[in-house]
Amino acid sequence: MSAGWTIGVAILNLFLALALSPLLEGCARKLRAIIHSRIGPPIIQPYYDLAKLLGKEDLRSSANPLVRMAPLACLVSVAIAALLIPMGTFNASTGTFEPPLGAYGDSILFIYCLALTAVGTIITGAASENPFAFIGASREMMMHLTVEPVLAVALMAAAINARSFRMGDMALWYHAHGPAPSMILAALFLFLALQAQIGKLPFDIPEAEQEVMGGTFIEQSGPQYALLRWSMMAKQIVFCSVFCQIFIPWPMMGHIAWDVLIHLAKVFVLVLILALIDVVNPRLRIDQSVRYYLHLGFFSLSAIFVALAGF
Amino acid sequence: MINLLYAAFLLLVAGAIAVAAISRHKGACGWAALGFVSAASACLIYLAAYVFFEGEVKAVGLLNLHPLIGTSLSVEIDPLSALFLIIISVISFCVTLYSIRYIRHYEKESLLRYYPWLLLFFASIVGVVCMTDMLFFIIFWEIMTLTSWALVVYERENKESLKAGLIYFIVTHMATGCLILAAVILYSYTAGPSFSFEDLRAVLKTQLIVNPALVHGVLILFFIGFVTKASTLPFGFWLPLAHPVAPSSFSAVLSGVMIKAGVYGIVRLFCSILPISTCSQTWGIVIALFGTFSIFIGTMSALTQDDSKRLMAFHSIGQVGYMFLGIGAGFYFLPVNSALATIALVAGLFHMVNHSWFKSCLFLNAGSVLYKTGTRDLNKIGGLFRIMPWTGITALIASLSIGGIPPFNGFASKLVIFESTIIAGKEVGAAILARGLFVILGLAAIFISAVTLASFLKFINSAFLGKLRGVEETSGSDVPLSMQIPQGVLAFLCVLFGVVPLLPVTIVYKAVSGALPAGLCPALASLFGKVWPGISLDFGVGRVSGVWDPLWIIVAGVILIGAVGFMVRAGGAKVRQVETWYGGREHLPAETSYRGHSFYGPFKQIFTFHFKSIEFRGLYPTRFSLPRITMPKGMRIFLNPDQWFYYPMGRLFMKLTHGLSRSHTGHPQMYLLWTAIGVILVICILLYLPAK
Repeated sequence: MSAGWTIGVAILNLFLALALSPLLEGCARKLRAIIHSRIGPPIIQPYYDLAKLLGKEDLRSSANPLVRMAPLACLVSVAIAALLIPMGTFNASTGTFEPPLGAYGDSILFIYCLALTAVGTIITGAASENPFAFIGASREMMMHLTVEPVLAVALMAAAINARSFRMGDMALWYHAHGPAPSMILAALFLFLALQAQIGKLPFDIPEAEQEVMGGTFIEQSGPQYALLRWSMMAKQIVFCSVFCQIFIPWPMMGHIAWDVLIHLAKVFVLVLILALIDVVNPRLRIDQSVRYYLHLGFFSLSAIFVALAGF
Repeated sequence: MINLLYAAFLLLVAGAIAVAAISRHKGACGWAALGFVSAASACLIYLAAYVFFEGEVKAVGLLNLHPLIGTSLSVEIDPLSALFLIIISVISFCVTLYSIRYIRHYEKESLLRYYPWLLLFFASIVGVVCMTDMLFFIIFWEIMTLTSWALVVYERENKESLKAGLIYFIVTHMATGCLILAAVILYSYTAGPSFSFEDLRAVLKTQLIVNPALVHGVLILFFIGFVTKASTLPFGFWLPLAHPVAPSSFSAVLSGVMIKAGVYGIVRLFCSILPISTCSQTWGIVIALFGTFSIFIGTMSALTQDDSKRLMAFHSIGQVGYMFLGIGAGFYFLPVNSALATIALVAGLFHMVNHSWFKSCLFLNAGSVLYKTGTRDLNKIGGLFRIMPWTGITALIASLSIGGIPPFNGFASKLVIFESTIIAGKEVGAAILARGLFVILGLAAIFISAVTLASFLKFINSAFLGKLRGVEETSGSDVPLSMQIPQGVLAFLCVLFGVVPLLPVTIVYKAVSGALPAGLCPALASLFGKVWPGISLDFGVGRVSGVWDPLWIIVAGVILIGAVGFMVRAGGAKVRQVETWYGGREHLPAETSYRGHSFYGPFKQIFTFHFKSIEFRGLYPTRFSLPRITMPKGMRIFLNPDQWFYYPMGRLFMKLTHGLSRSHTGHPQMYLLWTAIGVILVICILLYLPAK
């Protein structure tokens, strides 16, 4: 594979995950406003927010250097995760879906990059020395503990089918071998877990503004907070991309511009669906959510059994 | 070359004697021990490097006991032994350096009961991994057990440590008993009287055909003996008791070196001694099942612990489970797919090496916290990062390593374990049930890996982050330099083995292929070596199925960090220090602290339940009352001779002598009268005697 292609796709992935994510967030906000019968902010409001936050005074409640480093780790790990997944970039000349860093890391690395994002959030909160942040950190970890298995099971079902742990091979296999029952089951379970993965209602328990005042984010302000918010938005795109690319890899035109546009359209629709769920639901308690996802994780094993049976 | 082994061994034994002689000089004693240990470590590392480059070193018949019992002391250092020698030498150096200052905070205890035992322990474990003769293997195994017991009960006035020591002593000796029994059974079948591994292998080979039940029986005994030492549940219940009470420096050795002896025993037994057959397949499944059981129960119960060292001890159980999962999968697939089997075995042993670095580091961190604050209770401490930044950073690195976060070493080995067990689902040569089983075990391991991370974030959050608690603000700086260096060395190894995974994988691959029969393992380049310095996994299908090449990921990360950092700087935001915000109210930090115990409450609640009178906390039984053993009443009376013999006899004697004592009235006249009567009596007798 040529270096030019890889760098080009890398820039494209980063553009989609980092530069375009606030736009999608803005659309989601607009949708929420419409349902609330409000006019709502302009859809480029998240860009204004980020630009404003980057220049605002940074108030720190702790001298701990980890306060500064952890949000950076958060955003960078999401960006790396974005480089590990194909985003509609089918290379017609080699016939692969190889993501930019696909030659250096596979789906397990993807899972653990997102774990690193959770760790970054938790360390940020705990290093800020605020007791509310500790509550948020504890909740964030519990959510991660119970939601991560669902993602892992779904991706491993794909890996067993494709007999490879590389994201590109998984997408290629499913695209070539048509709809498979095990993958449909896995997609279903992953969809039920998406809402918690991207931290939206009814699973935004770690932030829960009305209870713990933002949880891990309570002491964050200025550029640190901008990075954390941005990583949340980028995470949404990354998860939606995985869902759209690995579990619904159709339709495919074979021309890169069309494929990226189709991918973007699928992600856009998925973001709107998730925003819709977000608007019409109240927040669950942490114990309800933990139980729900433990059960979901347990039942998601059925996708593995179907994959083992060869379907 | 073999002389280096003798030199290291003699240095350690001589060191033990020399240190015992000067144990009154507290400063000199530690430095002298460090001198001996580092000289021995240098010898062992050089020897191990030689073995890796030039091939194995052996010496047969050093101490010939053939006329007596049919055995001779023979040593052989193959790459598998060399791998363990590297671990032993690094950990022994770090721990001895750490001990110099650390052990002096036990003011009441004598150094005589620490350093000599520590050095003898190192000597004995060097012996364990080098023997090729079962009798001497067991002898060194026993010395290892005894010396470690002496160190577990180092605080001899502490009731808790004596109790844990007693349990440790009994359990490990039952395990040693199993080993002896198994060895003797095999000995009785050898052609000539012999305990050597080669002859035992020949016995197993014939008995596998003639009498497989016997082979399984012997393997059960060996299995119990080894996994008890390796602390796999349900045999490893001694470990959560013994690790917290030992001095932290020795806890690091227990976890970093000693429980690995059990792993060594299993690998040596199933790779080198037992011929590869369906028998090793069965036992592969057994080992993997016990491993995953330990992963699950050990780590879940670790999540509920509030004592820093007890938390880590439970994680040792869990992490040994990971090793056994990889190793068990390896044994199962050896006859089916040698590529997959080799990768799984390498994964298990790679995780073992990594576990030595990060778990020893974590125990030393816990020791530093104990040294500084005097407590192991995570509810009483907090915010120590401010006064012990170096300890905090090394603890963070080790915690992320054990939690499997890239790019640290735990991630690399866990990745290989996960992928080699999950890819087994498509291994057509294996039975469908076994395939499903290994996939489920691999997924359980992925889930528990997150629990491990959660548990260690709790340790980091409650000990190092948050408001400063448990120690005075002005209590000065970090722990002494001699305690910082070992933590730094181990944390550096965590990073190094994570960033350059091909280096340790190459070493471990040599160890595995050296221990297995020659020609069984596919070449290293075909299994791992498609990307440098990362690892790419090819499970014998001719293409790369999984990959981890940290170099380019890190390059991408650094570029991104630079870009984002530049953007933040371009924003030009000012920084200001402010007070913590408690929702608009004034609070003292002490009023609002979030204690370690509060972490993950609802999650822990799910895994805590009662069964009859036993409370399962994090799936681990705690607080149960053992059934009372009563004996018949007559027996109890018979066993209590005080009641029916000594006291009645005593009372009778007292009654008799009571009459005599009445004659002592205290009047001098009375005594004179007695004297006069006595004199008359004597004279009468004297007069009477000659007359006769």
